[in-house]
Amino acid sequence: MRTTLLLQQLINGVSLGSLYALIAIGYTMVYGILRLINFAHGDLLMVSPYAAIYGIALFSLPWFLTFPLAIISTGAIGILLDRAAYKPLRQAPRISLLISAIGASFLMENLALVIVGGVPKPFPRPDFFNHVIRAGHLHIQVLTIYSPLITLVLVFGLLYIVFKTRVGKAMRAASWDFEATRLMGINLDSIIALTFLLGSSLAAAGGIMWAMKYPQINPFMGVIPGLKAFIAAVLGGIGNIVGAVIGGFLLGVFEILIVALLPGLADYRDAFAFLLLIGILLFRPTGIMGERSAH
Amino acid sequence: MNSFFRMRRVTKEFGGLKAVSDFSLAIERSELVGLIGPNGAGKTTVFNMITGRLRPTMGDIFWKGKNITRLHTHLIAAGGIARTFQNIKLFGDMSVLENVMVSFHSSIDSWFLSAMLGLPKHRREEKRIREQSIAYLEEAGLAHLCFEKAQNLPYGLQRKLEITRALATGPDLLLLDEPAAGMNPMEKIELASFVTQVRERRGIAILLIEHDMKFVMSICERIKVMDYGLSIAEGSPDQIRSDPEVIRAYLGGPGDTASG
Amino acid sequence: MSAKWKFCLNIAALSALFGLLYLFSRYGSGYQIRILTNIAIFITLAVSYNLVNGVCGLLHLGPNGFIAVGAYTSALLSMTPAEKELNFILEHLVWPISVIHVPFLVSLIAAGAVAALFAFVISFPVLRVRGDYLAIVTFGFGEVVRVLCNACQSVTNGPLGLKGLHPYTNLWWSWGVAVLAVIVIQRLIDSNYGLAMKAIREDETAAMAMGVDPSRRLLVAFMVSAFFSGVAGGLLAHLITTISPGVFTFVLTFNLLIMIVVGGLGSTTGAIIGAVLFTWGGEALRIVERPMDIGIFTIPGIPGMRMVIFSLILMLVILFARNGILGRWELNWDFLASKFARLRRTDTPL
Repeated sequence: MRTTLLLQQLINGVSLGSLYALIAIGYTMVYGILRLINFAHGDLLMVSPYAAIYGIALFSLPWFLTFPLAIISTGAIGILLDRAAYKPLRQAPRISLLISAIGASFLMENLALVIVGGVPKPFPRPDFFNHVIRAGHLHIQVLTIYSPLITLVLVFGLLYIVFKTRVGKAMRAASWDFEATRLMGINLDSIIALTFLLGSSLAAAGGIMWAMKYPQINPFMGVIPGLKAFIAAVLGGIGNIVGAVIGGFLLGVFEILIVALLPGLADYRDAFAFLLLIGILLFRPTGIMGERSAH
Repeated sequence: MNSFFRMRRVTKEFGGLKAVSDFSLAIERSELVGLIGPNGAGKTTVFNMITGRLRPTMGDIFWKGKNITRLHTHLIAAGGIARTFQNIKLFGDMSVLENVMVSFHSSIDSWFLSAMLGLPKHRREEKRIREQSIAYLEEAGLAHLCFEKAQNLPYGLQRKLEITRALATGPDLLLLDEPAAGMNPMEKIELASFVTQVRERRGIAILLIEHDMKFVMSICERIKVMDYGLSIAEGSPDQIRSDPEVIRAYLGGPGDTASG
Repeated sequence: MSAKWKFCLNIAALSALFGLLYLFSRYGSGYQIRILTNIAIFITLAVSYNLVNGVCGLLHLGPNGFIAVGAYTSALLSMTPAEKELNFILEHLVWPISVIHVPFLVSLIAAGAVAALFAFVISFPVLRVRGDYLAIVTFGFGEVVRVLCNACQSVTNGPLGLKGLHPYTNLWWSWGVAVLAVIVIQRLIDSNYGLAMKAIREDETAAMAMGVDPSRRLLVAFMVSAFFSGVAGGLLAHLITTISPGVFTFVLTFNLLIMIVVGGLGSTTGAIIGAVLFTWGGEALRIVERPMDIGIFTIPGIPGMRMVIFSLILMLVILFARNGILGRWELNWDFLASKFARLRRTDTPL
């Protein structure tokens, strides 16, 4: 009996981890190119579910159209975020960028609060995601299985773009040497926009799956998952996409297992993630994939 | 070790690349030694290792009998080795006077609490520091610019300020990294006399990196030449000028290269 | 301007300040007194926050943690054992805190001391890194404190928090602490210690090469800042008389950040101005969150609008006026004297 419980929790952990992974990628990609911790990235998690709800309510489109539309429009908002809050500060000291990011995050959260109100809204879970699979003593929501699968598909798609296309090569070049890339005639603004588009879209996809998993959405729902995804990115080696994915899965499993094995410490769940972060920064700041040294 | 300052077989590796190989150097009290070589020869890396900014992969550095190879930068500075930087690293937003006053920080005796409470002991120390800083600036001819922001100074004076700041730490060995870079001939003559005066008046040993051959030959007693991380020659200016290895390292040109 | 003149002017200004406070304490409304007290507390917080972020140049995102530590320490020590019994209904308060009861002043000093101790302990991971990493580690610390406050029922009473604190904080306590904090912290900044901190901010490598030990100097700033944050936390607790983990979230840090950025990162008087503007403005802006009657129209209140405006202000300042109001200048007597002299010189002769 205990092994099935453990197995169930393991699957839950992997599923949660896949969502962290999707969000972590966005942090790591932006940091790789701009050396910026995009504090507002986690809030994009919140934008896509709201966009989806309004899409369904206003246009009565089926979920398989609204979801992708919500994801793409959130990706566009990611580009807008860069243009408004980060681009003007390209030459400014780092502390200004960080402050701008924090300001942008608060702005998005409270703007959402003003627009949609503070009452949590229920998020519709389409029937496609609504089955429960039974295998012996295991009860698994089909969404729990789909999340990692969708994540892997999206991740492979991204890795293809980054490693097998010309734009991907330009992105990788930009993350190694910003100035040199510009000098080679590559339009850096487009590359940066693409980075934000891809990272934000992935986070948006994660947001929709998160909303289906925990179907009450509110303007501040992106805060804690965003932070944990950031920790996952650091764990995997900030700047490294594969690292972010690995970090995400590891963090998800770690979080679920800790609570499962030591239920008395459930209240400290969030604190564990931060303690893990402080531990990484102390002992191995370059993370698991260790690509860049802590500047 | 009876040498004042000694580097023994120091090597610095970055990954597979040997930036500095098997480098040895001894300096005596009040000596004026030049360190020259083509770009990328490893000269600044040597400086960085002496001051603790980089840790040698192999070898030892001895200062006044102590092994300082793995010591922290600020302790090495407090122990009497000061330096200037290739790209001037002044405290730009702070005034000229404040830049020099920082150098006295390691000599402060009173606690931060006595600073916060305004105790007399602290006030006396602050007064002393201020007076001594102004004295240093007067010697360098910069006292009239006391309250200017360091970043507003013209280039030549910024370099002078950086040297003054280093002097204010009261060193026995001063490392100058390309002090004449970007100066016109007039400024270089002034700098050369400034450096020799410093040595005469205070008895400080000086190790300087420079590309300007005339400058180096005119003031240094001994010159060490590096290329590709290795020491290829050492001797008096005349010896170096006619050393075939040195000539080859500088691509066949005679000792007189144009100022860099 | 000579030191003697400055001393006289300072005494005069302080007398004027305390005279004004006396007038308010006798004739002012409860609302006005409360705002003034709030302003003083935030002046203390802003000035001590500016010491780390502005003078030392570190992006410290965890002051809410120190404020929480101070608030809880002060509250737990100033409550009588009976009051503590009343509060801790789910789990009993751990001994010996359950029986300690000290005067308000002692509790404030203890609040500062405990906060400074926390600063010392976390300085080991925090001061080993810089830049973004330091921001994240301090942020993490603030969050960990909040989570601990929530989880350690037997010490902090968890999410229920502590109620029924004596409203010890009044104009005199809050402004007294504020004046003390400004004087003491400014003395530190003006001393050679402050120079070392600024040098570290300007160029840490060069500072080390001149003999400055960054870890030790930054530790001083960190602990002093934490001390005053803790004391201010204690004052805050005894002003609002009810504290819970939800009071000390990152929003508090965000507010402090706005204050010092708008006032001028690195300027003490800038931090003071920022604190005054923000606290007073924050009160004034509360009206947008309540329904307003204008003639025959009623504009409905919009919750969250205040934070939107604050966020916008922060972003506009950081994007277009990065130096804030004062930049790194200080609004002190020398500054005013030079402005006055310039004005006099431009007077047309009769």
